[in-house]
Amino acid sequence: MAKRRRKAARKQSLLKGGRKSVLIVLFVPSVERDGTTPIDQARWVDAALEMFGRVFGGATAYPKAQGIWRDDERDGILVKDEPIVVHCYTTPADIEDSGKLAELGRFCRMMGRDGRQGEVGLVIGDEYFGIREFTEE
Amino acid sequence: MKSRLDMNKIARGLGAVRRGSVSASSGYFGARQLLAEIQTRFRVPAGGGRATDPGWTERRLVPLAPRTLKRLEAITRGVKARRGLNVEPMQLAALLLEKTTEQLNEDEVADLVGPVQA
Repeated sequence: MAKRRRKAARKQSLLKGGRKSVLIVLFVPSVERDGTTPIDQARWVDAALEMFGRVFGGATAYPKAQGIWRDDERDGILVKDEPIVVHCYTTPADIEDSGKLAELGRFCRMMGRDGRQGEVGLVIGDEYFGIREFTEE
Repeated sequence: MKSRLDMNKIARGLGAVRRGSVSASSGYFGARQLLAEIQTRFRVPAGGGRATDPGWTERRLVPLAPRTLKRLEAITRGVKARRGLNVEPMQLAALLLEKTTEQLNEDEVADLVGPVQA
């Protein structure tokens, strides 16, 4: 009985932890919310890679893409930019770790605040998350 | 198997708002993901040899149609030429098989195996 429980617990821990099966996608913008003022994108990409490497074990930044975002708080004005997309693979256990989540959230708020963004976007697994409140806790 | 993540917990931990589900499993974005997987997961074994995923410990013979093998060879040649990434055709096959298997959810698996026979 105890053996079966141990086996079940091991199976559970393998499912929860182990494999890097969860993809985090972070969009690093090129301009401020006004759509014209450039931000120091290279610095934020470096900072994002450093954060992902330290917290989740690695990441990949891709070349610039073409992006657009509708700012609903400013009469639906369209903000065009050239975001750099950063991919990071992590484990289910790590993405649900409150300390790691706090660090990722802190980074997004800092980028949103310093880069004067309307929203910082993240895709985790198959869900899109938007961060709009950038005040430090 | 798909991991079931607690998205509400993740949203709370991030201080973010859930804005909805996305699908990013095919096309350009899917191909980029595959490349990122190769870069992230492949490691040269401690004893030397070809870079591979250390988690791939099982080996099986898989029958293929010649056109499938040709396609895999063409893709891996392109990946090497344009990205400088060394990946063997059957390593790409293993990666694609793994992704497809993981993307099947329990309902799809139930549909696949059909109802229990009386």
